[in-house]
Amino acid sequence: MSIEQALSFDHEFTLQELLTGVNSSKLLQALLTNLDSPVRILDTHDKCLFDIELDQFEEKHPLKKTPLYGELEPIGYIEAYAPLPSLQSAAQLIQLILYSNSRYLMASDLHIKTQRDDYEELQRRNAALETSKVKYKKLAESLDLRVKQQVKVIETAQLKLYENEKLASIGRLAAGIAHEINNPIGFIRSNLTSTESYLNALTKLDAALKTGATNSYILKLWEEEELNYMLEDLEDILKESIDGIDRVAAIVKDLKSFSRVNDADEEDADINEIIRQTVHICAPQVQNKLEVILDLADIPLIFCHPAELGQVFLSLLLNAADAIAEKGKVKITTGINESNICIEMRDTGCGISESDLSHIFDPFFTTKDVGQGIGLGLTVCLNIIKAHKGSLNIISKLDKGTLVTICLPIQHKKY
Amino acid sequence: MAIHDEDSNKLTIKLVYYGPAMSGKTTNIMRLHDLLNTDLKGEIMMMETTNDRTLFFDLLPLGFTTSSGLLVKFKVYTVPGQVVHDSTRKAVLSRADGVVFVADSQLSQSINNGQSFENLEANANRVGLDFDSLPLVIQYNKRDLTDIISETEVQQRWQQAPWPVTFSNAINGSGVVETLQALLSQVYNQLNTEFKFLDQHNLTQTEFINQLITGDIAHQT
Repeated sequence: MSIEQALSFDHEFTLQELLTGVNSSKLLQALLTNLDSPVRILDTHDKCLFDIELDQFEEKHPLKKTPLYGELEPIGYIEAYAPLPSLQSAAQLIQLILYSNSRYLMASDLHIKTQRDDYEELQRRNAALETSKVKYKKLAESLDLRVKQQVKVIETAQLKLYENEKLASIGRLAAGIAHEINNPIGFIRSNLTSTESYLNALTKLDAALKTGATNSYILKLWEEEELNYMLEDLEDILKESIDGIDRVAAIVKDLKSFSRVNDADEEDADINEIIRQTVHICAPQVQNKLEVILDLADIPLIFCHPAELGQVFLSLLLNAADAIAEKGKVKITTGINESNICIEMRDTGCGISESDLSHIFDPFFTTKDVGQGIGLGLTVCLNIIKAHKGSLNIISKLDKGTLVTICLPIQHKKY
Repeated sequence: MAIHDEDSNKLTIKLVYYGPAMSGKTTNIMRLHDLLNTDLKGEIMMMETTNDRTLFFDLLPLGFTTSSGLLVKFKVYTVPGQVVHDSTRKAVLSRADGVVFVADSQLSQSINNGQSFENLEANANRVGLDFDSLPLVIQYNKRDLTDIISETEVQQRWQQAPWPVTFSNAINGSGVVETLQALLSQVYNQLNTEFKFLDQHNLTQTEFINQLITGDIAHQT
């Protein structure tokens, strides 16, 4: 019998198999009592499987043999010294046992087979799951690492862009400021050139005086060199030059106080002063189209980063300038509302559409042309105001203008 | 795969009644037990639950002896139709020599029929049977009921398929023997090559079928 057949629930059962588990001595004892004869149970090859003897047996009947049937065909024999009908009914009885046992064996073998198949299937699935679990764990780990790396890259890039944005608005100022400084330098230089020629005239006069020239000669020289006009002009030149130098000094002063962008120091500062400085510093940049109206109330000093707030006002002012096509106004108002300082900046620019309004604080959102801005201006502003525990709100109407409201809590340095 | 036991000169052939739950597989073999007149006919071994649902299988042993002395033994099994008993179905189907697919003719059962047939094909492949060459008969049972699929539609549906289609009412026995007949003729052709029924045992296809169905031994001597 092959292994496959041995494992199969529906193989042909032998008599020996079908009698497994049956208490043979009891069975044989029962047969002996009924048939009153020694009994032998044989397989199909007449090999004796079970037998029982009688000590003092007297042969009353000849030896008879009758088949034991399996499903259809004989699978063994019973042999005894008994009348055939008795032997046949004994065989019937044994067949009932065989039938019931085959039913049990088939069911249990089938059960074992399906259990084993199911178990193997489960093990196979379990192994497959384990494999994919390991795979996904590895994948998850490497993904985690890659995500962390990418996050770092993005964070670094964002920080760089953020810093760049702070410098970008300053950069926009540079051109205007250069012009503003160039102008007085130009006329101061031209004035100094004039003064140089006046010095020549004075040298001539000085030489004449030292050689003891006559009064009439000196007077003549005075006339010739137009020294009367020179005196008047020199007064104007000096006055103008001093004015010019004062203007340059003022710009430098503003620039100095404004350019502390990376100054980490916090101090008690006057918001109004920061606004004035900012307006002043960007005046050359915006004055040809923007009329800035200041309405600044009496407000207390607050503990803040003046340079960072200046950055905010500058960004907002430049935005307002960008929003105005030809000529417009910006009105900046300060005031106190409960425990906050409120700054309002109202422009008459083109406004922001409703669909854009919800995105204006998103990093890298911009409506400007490429190269005009990277969309971080308001993000930076909002972050600075939030760092001051304040709020920044923007209301806008297309073609009417925009109102920016900043509220900063009044706080002082903690000692 | 039929098993030839040379020791006792016995050939055991396994036939399986497959199909969705409650389509009448057990009823089919009960009627076969009543209607067949073969020489050797065993008792039906049934293993059912209290609700008359087959739990493991039913088994009807049948057989006849050829003039050459070969015992041809048929073991006719049914599988449990319920979806949950798939492992049992697979074990019973394993090494089958022929399959009757008992479909339920009721219109409401067409999805179950389809799923069960797909299951048969899948399991046949899993237990290593070549589904393309496996002797198979499609039986549409319960023709006595109303709300059933029409014969025309059944014929149309299986027109492209290589298997014969039969119609039956297993309750009263009509069509049951015809189905077995259709299967036996395929099984004969399939096994004749390997076991040389005609050459070695002088057993024709008609005799092979008749011996099992009517018990006629029309030996042409």
